[in-house]
Amino acid sequence: METYFIQQRIKHTSLWIFNHLVLLVNLFLVLTPLLWMVIASFSPGKLLTGVKLPFDMLRALFRFDMAGVAEGFQSFTANLTLEQYDYLFTYRGTTDQALPDYWEAFSVSLYVAILNTILVVILSSLVGFAFSRYKFIGKKRVLLTFMGLQMFPAFMGMVALFMLFRQFGFLNNPTALTLIYVTGAIPYNTFIIRGFMRNIPKSLDEAAAIDGANNLQIMTKIIIPLAVPIMGFVAVNAFMAPWMDYILPSIIMPQVNTLAVWLFRLSDPLGSVYSPLAFMAGALFIAVPIMIVQVYMQRFVVYGLTAGADKG
Amino acid sequence: MRMIQWIRNYIQQIGPRLKALPGNILSSFKRRGQALKALLADMKQHPKATKTMLFSALVMGLGQIRNKQYYKAIFFFGFLFVYLVVEFATSSYIGSLAEVAAFPDDFGIIYVRDYGGLFVRGLWGFITLGELVVFDFYRGGNIRLQDNVIAWRSADVSNVLLGQGIIVVVLLALLLSVYIANVVDAYKVGKRVEAGEEPETFASFRKRAFDDYFAYIIIIPAGILIMFLTLIPFLYSFLIAFTNYTTQIQSGAQLIRWVGFENFGLYLFQSDWLQFFGNVFGWTILWAIMSSVTVYSIGFFQAMVVESRYIKYKKLYRLIMILPWAIPGLVSLLVFRNVFASNAGLANQLLIEFGVLEQVKTFLSSVGLLGQSSEIGVILWYTEPANGALTKLLIILVNLWMGSPYFMLLITGILGTIPAELYEAADIDGATDTQKFTYVTWPWVLRATMPVIITTFTFNFNNFGAIYFLTGGGPGYALAQIPESLRVTGAMPGQTDILISWIYKIAFANNPARYNLASTYSIVVFLIVGLFAIYNLSKVKGFWEED
Repeated sequence: METYFIQQRIKHTSLWIFNHLVLLVNLFLVLTPLLWMVIASFSPGKLLTGVKLPFDMLRALFRFDMAGVAEGFQSFTANLTLEQYDYLFTYRGTTDQALPDYWEAFSVSLYVAILNTILVVILSSLVGFAFSRYKFIGKKRVLLTFMGLQMFPAFMGMVALFMLFRQFGFLNNPTALTLIYVTGAIPYNTFIIRGFMRNIPKSLDEAAAIDGANNLQIMTKIIIPLAVPIMGFVAVNAFMAPWMDYILPSIIMPQVNTLAVWLFRLSDPLGSVYSPLAFMAGALFIAVPIMIVQVYMQRFVVYGLTAGADKG
Repeated sequence: MRMIQWIRNYIQQIGPRLKALPGNILSSFKRRGQALKALLADMKQHPKATKTMLFSALVMGLGQIRNKQYYKAIFFFGFLFVYLVVEFATSSYIGSLAEVAAFPDDFGIIYVRDYGGLFVRGLWGFITLGELVVFDFYRGGNIRLQDNVIAWRSADVSNVLLGQGIIVVVLLALLLSVYIANVVDAYKVGKRVEAGEEPETFASFRKRAFDDYFAYIIIIPAGILIMFLTLIPFLYSFLIAFTNYTTQIQSGAQLIRWVGFENFGLYLFQSDWLQFFGNVFGWTILWAIMSSVTVYSIGFFQAMVVESRYIKYKKLYRLIMILPWAIPGLVSLLVFRNVFASNAGLANQLLIEFGVLEQVKTFLSSVGLLGQSSEIGVILWYTEPANGALTKLLIILVNLWMGSPYFMLLITGILGTIPAELYEAADIDGATDTQKFTYVTWPWVLRATMPVIITTFTFNFNNFGAIYFLTGGGPGYALAQIPESLRVTGAMPGQTDILISWIYKIAFANNPARYNLASTYSIVVFLIVGLFAIYNLSKVKGFWEED
């Protein structure tokens, strides 16, 4: 009996150690690049060589040399500067610009994100409602075809869009760019919204119809208010999607930067504004709000797996 | 093992379907033949309705007048009328007669190219992709690159003609579908009229139209967007694969030509191209499998660790561990590009600082990952042709860093849905922890996440960003590795390029940009991924259910 308990004890202790060890390694691997990014964004100069990591401090820490730690810490903090943020928020490519490049790119991205949210929510709820409530010829096949068409490598569509937009004068136009995003988002979101609306009992529609409501009223007064949660999900996704898209805007808007394009240009060694440390600052500045939203959105991860598929 | 079994089941399921395919197609033809026979018999019994239908077939709306449904006649004829007005307003068929008489030999082309309306000219452009270029002698003068006064004196620009042609073809397809609806309507109503019924009046039609066609009305805005921004670009880029369109073709001076399946023959079956296609394709498959398997298994492992009973402060740890998932992918990739930069990148700096650079280099060389010459000090993570294998491993690891938290989250959520009774029952049977995992946890989680594994696989197959932003496809191949015939083409993939990023390079990053080659490969990727995805989607429970 005694040995059994000892065995159990050893087993539990070793599992405890193992689990914590794994966790520790994991946290180290996750946090190191992030901390480096933060430190880099507060470093002076133009190039990565400006980043000074506090190795002296760490070495002193391993020797329990507290004076050394303090000294290392001091020389580390002395190197830190707000230079990159200053550069980021004041840099103007041409002198007559109203806003610095970063804020101009930010405002373009914000405009695209807001317009995208509005249009995606409206259009996909309309289509989702139609697909969940009516029968019409070839409806499944139509949805499936368009979801399938999107598997065609998007760049090739971009060649065509570039030609079309050039011909009709839509290049460098954020609204036209947004319409492409909206169109791309419709099939998937229709699928999601349709899945949700199917679970709203049809008896509600019928009851309203008996009371004399027409289709438009049934849709706006009954189904849409009940579908608000899923529309919120769609809206947040639609708002987040355009921020960090690089390829499409870089082709469709060669002269207007979105935020992603501007960040990419900052980090591109072959580009004219290469400045990796300013890139770190700019990326951090936009990544933090996005991360907060994402962390909040984590509850939808499991939900997203089953959305649109199962019928209650 | 279960995975293998599952794949075997999958193949077993596809097999019979493929075998049944010819039979199904044949029987669907048979069914259609029978339906046609039945229709002909029906038409014989209703001579008047048939006549009405023929009227509508002749001119849209004419049959509806015979049916005394004037509002429908106005709609159908109006639809046709708009097309006709556009066609004639954009043409000058009559005004051009004198000029055509002056050049009787060029009669056909003058009429269509110079004076044709939107639709006629569009179809001409679609079929020919243009006929005249700069300096061609035409109608007593020379063609110019761009003549803003006399439009027809400008050279033909093939890619514009192709774009206009596709728009015209799509618009004509729309007309055709309304035309068919018009004929069907004429026949159906005609039969009712023949039977002595009164045709529906406008008042009653208007009353029910809003309800009956509500679904169509609310789809129209999305439909228009999809037509112009998904369908037309898709057709355009699809058709480019059957042309010789590259940026070497100077617009105005040369014309794009239809070449049929020549591109497929050249690029898929010519041995040098095929060899590179094989290299890239093999790595794409390996990448898609490895990246999906690693994120899934490590994510699973992370979930098990964080959820184990030995860990306190679960929420805090989970929050930190999902950070890589919460950071935008573009940012992570660009940061990692800098982390592994050869000069002052974090990775090399850490190795130097801890004094293990030489040991790591020796180790990597001994396992065959590092091939760079020993004079080079730091490790060149993604720029040295001899380090190709190392770069590949690096991409998979970075993808793991970015991707595993999603699976950790997902699997944590699914672990919570496993009924406690299953574990209790296992306890009663005296199962060990390992047994509980193999017989309860693992099958449950695998079944729940199978759709996600497949989506992840298809996503990674086309995961352009992971390659392009991290390594840009680099390192390139050493010159000796490239066959001589391809050295001048400027469309070479890097060692870590997957199909999709190679396609991007071919279409955009290189000079000349070979749109036709990019499109050909796109079709190949599309056939692989698109069909796979559609097949999987169609298997999602409830998708095909009609309600």
